[in-house]
Amino acid sequence: MSSMKCLQSAIIAIAIVVTVLSETVTAQDVPPPSEKKITYSPYPEQTFPNRVYFGDTHLHTGYSTDAGMVGCILTPEDALRVSRGEEITSSHGLPVKLPRPLDFVVITDHAENLGLSPAIAESNADLLSNAWGKKIHDLVKLGTVDGQRMAFDMWVEAMMMDRKDPLKKFPEMGRTFWKRSTAAAEKYNEPGLFTAFIGFEWTSAPDGNNLHRNVIFRGGKDKADQIIPISAYDTDDPEKLWEWMADYERKTGGQLMAIAHNGNISNGLMFDDVTLTSKKPLDRDYAERRMRWEPLYEVTQIKGDGEAHPALSPNDEFADFETWDEATFGPVSTTPDMLPREYARSAYKRGLAYEQKLGVNPFKFGMIGSTDSHTGLPTTQEDSFFGKVSLLEPSADPIRFEEVIIGRTNPDPTKKIRAWRTSASGLAAVWSRENTREAIWDAMARKEVYATSGTRLKVRVFAGWDFEASDLDRSDFAEHGYDNGVPMGGDLSSAPRGKAPSFLVRAVKDPDGADLDRVQIIKGWLGADGETHEQIYDLAVSDGRRIGADGRCRKSVGNTVNAEEATYSNSIGDPYLEAFWQDPDFEANQRAFYYVRVIEIPTPRWTTFDAKVFGVELPEGAPVSIQERAYTSPIWYTPDN
Amino acid sequence: MKRLLKEPLLHFLLLGAGLFAASSFLSTRDELPRDAIVVSAGKIEHLSALYERTWQRPPTAQELEGLINDFIREEAAYREGMAFGLDRDDTIIRRRIRQKLDFIAEDIAGLVEPSDDELAAYLETHPDDFRVDPRLTFRQVYLNPDQHGESIEADARDLLSTLGGDAAIDASSLGDRIMLEHDYRDVSMREVASLFGEQFAIAIVELDPGSWEGPIESGYGLHLVMIDERTDARLPELDEVRDQVRREWEHVRRLEMTEAFYREMLDRYEIVVEWPEPDTKERDS
Repeated sequence: MSSMKCLQSAIIAIAIVVTVLSETVTAQDVPPPSEKKITYSPYPEQTFPNRVYFGDTHLHTGYSTDAGMVGCILTPEDALRVSRGEEITSSHGLPVKLPRPLDFVVITDHAENLGLSPAIAESNADLLSNAWGKKIHDLVKLGTVDGQRMAFDMWVEAMMMDRKDPLKKFPEMGRTFWKRSTAAAEKYNEPGLFTAFIGFEWTSAPDGNNLHRNVIFRGGKDKADQIIPISAYDTDDPEKLWEWMADYERKTGGQLMAIAHNGNISNGLMFDDVTLTSKKPLDRDYAERRMRWEPLYEVTQIKGDGEAHPALSPNDEFADFETWDEATFGPVSTTPDMLPREYARSAYKRGLAYEQKLGVNPFKFGMIGSTDSHTGLPTTQEDSFFGKVSLLEPSADPIRFEEVIIGRTNPDPTKKIRAWRTSASGLAAVWSRENTREAIWDAMARKEVYATSGTRLKVRVFAGWDFEASDLDRSDFAEHGYDNGVPMGGDLSSAPRGKAPSFLVRAVKDPDGADLDRVQIIKGWLGADGETHEQIYDLAVSDGRRIGADGRCRKSVGNTVNAEEATYSNSIGDPYLEAFWQDPDFEANQRAFYYVRVIEIPTPRWTTFDAKVFGVELPEGAPVSIQERAYTSPIWYTPDN
Repeated sequence: MKRLLKEPLLHFLLLGAGLFAASSFLSTRDELPRDAIVVSAGKIEHLSALYERTWQRPPTAQELEGLINDFIREEAAYREGMAFGLDRDDTIIRRRIRQKLDFIAEDIAGLVEPSDDELAAYLETHPDDFRVDPRLTFRQVYLNPDQHGESIEADARDLLSTLGGDAAIDASSLGDRIMLEHDYRDVSMREVASLFGEQFAIAIVELDPGSWEGPIESGYGLHLVMIDERTDARLPELDEVRDQVRREWEHVRRLEMTEAFYREMLDRYEIVVEWPEPDTKERDS
C-alpha cells in the first residue's frame, strides 16, 4: 500500500520535471533591453530636492539568526513585498499590509551567520558539512522547544561568549544567503517607484553594549556579491569596520555608508572619548574617518529614542520620550556618567568641543529613524505595530507586553526593560529629487534627512545670513532657500559682521495623521568659557498660543486622547506651522549647531490600541498617549579662525 | 537546480521509478538477492568527497574503509528500522520528509522559465498590478480649517465662484499657506497620495480638466483644484515591465505549485478530522 503511494508521488514528481524541461525550450527570443533614457523626476529646470521619501534603513528577516531562530520565517523577498505595499502573511500567520507603503527600504540582516535559520530549515549541505553546523541543525530538527532553545543558546554562546565564528572555515552558507539577499534587493528595486538597497548589519556588542552599524550599499549586486559582509566575529571595533569599507570601495569601485544606532544601550561607548580597542583619546584622524564613513545616526527606533535624555536636558519637557536608560544587553547597569556619551544632543555638543580641539568634529552626523524590526515587517504606526520580534506579534498573550528585552543578564532585577516599552518607531525621511538608490543614498550622504518616530510629517529648514520674515511668502520658497542658504545637514561659516544666522522653517502634518503642536529649534554651542550649552526655542506653536520673551511657550497643547476607544481628535493643533527665526544670542566666534524638532499633538500609544483591541490592561507605567515627532539633521555654524 | 539534484528523496523517487521501468524490460538486477546492500563506486566517491569537505583532505584507505562499513551499517539499520515501522510515529522524520517534499515543490516552481506568451497573459489578467499611474498637471488653492473654522465650506465656495470658469486666472496668491506647491506638473497619482493623502488623490483623478473644482478634502483641510492636464492610467507593454511581470509571475507560480502539489496529493485521500468532544465542564466554570 505505502509503496504504491510512493510510486504515485514519484510519478507526480517526474511529471513536473518533464513539464519543466519542455517549457524551458520555449523561452528563447527575448528582445534586447531598451536603450531609452528614462528620467524619474519632473521639473528638469529645477535642481534642488523637492520631495520627501520615507523609508526604513534597518529591517530584519528570518535570515537574521536572532529573528529566524525565534520564530521569524519571513525572507528578504517577503519583507520587500510588504514594504512596497503588498499584503503578506506574518510569521504567526496573520495577514499584514502596511497602511501606506514605504518609498525605500534596506534589508539589514545580521552578518553573524547570515542565513543560519533558513539554512537549517532546508538542511543546507554546506551547513551540514561541519560538526557545529550539523549539531545546531539536528537540535532544531528535534522539533522540540528544548531543542530549539539549546540551538539558539549554542549560537548565542558562539556569538556573545566565544566571539569566534563557528562557521569560519565554512563560508559557503553565508555566501549563499548573502547572494540571495542581494538578489532579492535587485529584484524589487524599481527606480522611480520603490528603492530597495542592499545592506547588512554589523553587530558589534562588546560586553553586551550596543555598537551596531548598518552598512548601506549605493550600488548593486554586481559589486556587493564580490564580498561577504564583515561580521562582529571578524572585529567588534568600528575602526576596523571602516577599514573594511575602504577596502570594499577600492576593490569594487562601489560606495558604502554605515549608520550606528542605540547609543542609549551602549553604556557610554557609542560616543566615547576614547577609541574602543586602544583606548586612546580621539584624535583628528579618528574624527575624519568616523565622519567619512558614518554621516548618519539612527536616533529613534523600537529600542527607544536617543535624541535627548531628561537628566541631560532638565529644562526640556519633551526630552523624556520612549526612554530606555536602565541597562544594556550586558550585565552592567547604565550609570548617569555614561549618558552624555549615549545621546545625540550631548554628542553634538561634545562634538563642538572636539572640533575646537582637534580641528575636526567626530560627531557631526545627520539624524534618521528606522525600525530595527525583527519580524520582516516595518510597522511604525501605533495602530498597527507588530512588535520587535515574531514572538511578540499582535495577540492578547501577556508575552506581548511582558517579554524581557533588556536586562536578561543583569543581576539587578529592577533593570529589566519589557516589551511594552518597545517603541512603534521610526522612519528615515529623505529630501531628494528622485526615488532611486543613487539619489536617496546621496541625500543621506549629505545629511539632507530627518528622523521621525513613525509619522510622515514633513519639515524643511533653510539657514542663511540674509533671510527675512517675508521670505516665507515667496512662491519660490525652496529655490530661494537653496540659493541663499543651506538646508538641514548643511554648514554655515563666515558670519558677516553684525549678523546672526536666520532660519526659515516650514512643517506640515502627516496628511493621514495628527496635527502639529509646535516647531522648535534646539541650539547647542561652545561658550567662551569652554563649556557647552543648549537652549530650546519654540518657533511656532498651534492654536494661537503665545511664545514668551524667553522663547518658550509653556502652555501645553492639550490632549484629546480617549484611552478606552484609542482615539484622538485634530480639534487641537495646527495642520501647518511656519516660522522665520533669527538667533537672538548669536556670538560669531562660538561654534554652534541648530536642529529643528517638530512635535505632534498627543495620540494613543500602541499599547493603548492593544488594550482596546485585545481587551487587556494597559501595562503599569505605560503612557496612554505620546507626542510623535521629527528631528532634522542639524545645521552647524563654524567660525572662521 | 543544484539543491534539487542533491536531494536524496528525489534520487529515491527517480530511482524508484527508474527501477520500476527497468525491471519490466531488462530485469538486470533480478539475480541479486532481495536484501543485498550494494555500495556503488559512485557512493564511495560521494562518501570520500563528504569526508574531504569536513577535513580538507581525502580519507586514507583505512578511513575510507571505515566510512564504507559505517554506511553499510546505516543502510541496514535504516531498512530494518523502516521495516519495523520506526518512522511512523516519529515527528522528526515525518517533518523532515514533509519539508523535503516542500523544497522539491518549491525548487521545481523556481526552475520554470516563463514564455513571452505566459508573461503577456499574466500582464493581461493582472492589469491592476502593473498599470502605469495616471499623471496629473494641476493647481490647487488651500483652505486651512484652523483659520476658517465653521465657515470653511462657505469660504471655499465663495472662492470657487470668484475663480469662476477662468482657467487662465492666476490663483497662486489665493488661499492659505501650507508646505505644498500651488502648481504640480506631471506628477503620478502615487506622488499625489504621498503629498496630499490617498483620499485626495482618488478624488482629483476623477475631476474634469479645465475648470476650478472643489472643495476637495485632504488631511490638511479643503482644496480647490484645477486639473490642467491628465494622462490617463494605461496598461504598459510587456517590454516596459518585463522584469516586474516576471517577478510577480514567479511569485504566484510558486504559491500555486505548492498548493497544487498538496491538492493533488490530498485528492488521493479521504480526510477525516475527529474533533474532540467540547469539554463542557471547563466551559461552564
